[in-house]
Amino acid sequence: MDLFVQLTINGVIAGAIYALIALGFALIFGVTKFFNLAHGAVAVVGGYAAFFFLEHAGLGVLPAAALAVCVAGMVGFALHKTVFLPLRRRQATNLVLLIAALGLLTVIQALIAMFFGSQFHPLSQFAGAQEVYRIAGGAITLVQLIIIISALAVFGLLTLFLKKTKFGKAVKAIGDDEEVAQIVGINTHAIIGYVFFIGSAIAGLGGVLVGFDTGIEPTMGLSLLLKGIIAAIVGGVGSLSGAVLGAFLLGLAENLGIWHISGEWKDAIAFGILIFFLIWRPRGILPR
Amino acid sequence: MEYVIHLSIVSGIVAILGMSLNLIVGYTGLLSVAHAAFYGIGAYVTAILLAGFGVNFFLALLLGMALAAAVALLIGLVLSRFDDDYYVLASLGLNIIIYSVFLNWNTLTRGPLGIPGISRPELGIGGYRFGLTSNFSFLVLTLLCAVLVYLAARFITRSSFGRVLMAIREDEQALQVFGYRTVYYKLAIFVIGAVMAAVAGALFASYITFIDPTSFMLRESIFMLSVIILGGLANTNGAVAGAVILVVLPELLRFVGLPSNIAAQMRLLLYGLALVLLMIYRPQGLFGKYRL
Repeated sequence: MDLFVQLTINGVIAGAIYALIALGFALIFGVTKFFNLAHGAVAVVGGYAAFFFLEHAGLGVLPAAALAVCVAGMVGFALHKTVFLPLRRRQATNLVLLIAALGLLTVIQALIAMFFGSQFHPLSQFAGAQEVYRIAGGAITLVQLIIIISALAVFGLLTLFLKKTKFGKAVKAIGDDEEVAQIVGINTHAIIGYVFFIGSAIAGLGGVLVGFDTGIEPTMGLSLLLKGIIAAIVGGVGSLSGAVLGAFLLGLAENLGIWHISGEWKDAIAFGILIFFLIWRPRGILPR
Repeated sequence: MEYVIHLSIVSGIVAILGMSLNLIVGYTGLLSVAHAAFYGIGAYVTAILLAGFGVNFFLALLLGMALAAAVALLIGLVLSRFDDDYYVLASLGLNIIIYSVFLNWNTLTRGPLGIPGISRPELGIGGYRFGLTSNFSFLVLTLLCAVLVYLAARFITRSSFGRVLMAIREDEQALQVFGYRTVYYKLAIFVIGAVMAAVAGALFASYITFIDPTSFMLRESIFMLSVIILGGLANTNGAVAGAVILVVLPELLRFVGLPSNIAAQMRLLLYGLALVLLMIYRPQGLFGKYRL
């Protein structure tokens, strides 16, 4: 029974991390309609930026994390400006954008490995000893609690922001039809730029939190990204609540799945779920 | 000289991978990033049969090709339901699933430890046995395989079957209107490509004499994709050129005197950068006849 509780808690924690990646991914996909595979790299940038500010600039935990999130956002924005926007201006197909994004992911991960080395860095060494809470026979650390709370908070704030502001309406309009949105006077390129910043910052937050929970390594971008994409597709492509729902389902399925199967099969379980959904329910649980 | 032979063997193996992937991606327009899975199947079947059971290389090669064909048929059936972005995503997922099988089926593949002690091919004619133990004789074998794959690819692309494939790439629906069951054509070329990749895998396993799962990760599929996109989609010569360029170019980094871990990352950086720059400035690659 204790094992079940612990696996459920682990599933929720994993789900919260996937949700942070999936939210940014779904937000960007909502306006650009292509699979931004570079999104995973942005999460790694967040994690390593935090590492840099903690280790080399000697900042405190909170300012370092906040700055790292901004850096991740700016990198996402820069990728949009330098690569995706020129390609989209030229009416490049989705496949071209996807391959360019794949190239960016490879480049960024390689750059980070060259500067910081490819070993594993736990960020928790900078935060001191952590409190451990016990819930119904399972254990959860403070960082893990913060992960769950921030995922839910980001989801809530983002939904509210998109619903209540003019910016949110513009995002929705671009998502429905970019050309028409442009015709009625929405500055689509600027809005999409901001969306890249926000989405990437959220992914960066995910990267930072993963760093404090377990640690960071250059290659984690791809696995984080893939889980985020699976979550977004399982939940319903382009829908924020779908992305969050999909993320928690995926986290729980992976962790409860290893109750009977050995832990190394986590990735295979996740992709099994993806293929299953792609075949039988390609629009996800909550289609937009 | 040994070094040149080594580079030629590696280029030959990558060229086989490139030519076979080009049939799928360039000629038929199916953007698969699962090619490393079939490369791995060929390598693992050869490795297990050679190191574990002492089977003849050429028999192991045939069995590896057969298993790759069977798996490709299954994967191709799953993939035949998808288009464009979703095709990429699903093939990516399938590559990772096959990779986890290599990594976690410990009793068969020895998992992350890998399989050492894979022997070089041996030719037995009558009572006379001749081992291809020198790198030069192995180069001859590799080039022979590469030429066979090249001729097969040329034959396929110039046949009526090949013209149907290119028509699928341009307008699948129109072709369906004419009564072609495009699914079968896509499945057939996917299996053919996978079988060729298995040949490359068998050569790789026997040449390096050691394999572990990291050689068949998604990263390798991305590398193969950069080979054919650089060389040019839908051009068999282009795939060979791309293979040679992307194998030889990173070797130059060695002479600059970079430490090996930095050089390894530099290679990845080059592949990634090649993809990004090509997409921006020349989406059809160097000698491409088709742009995405």
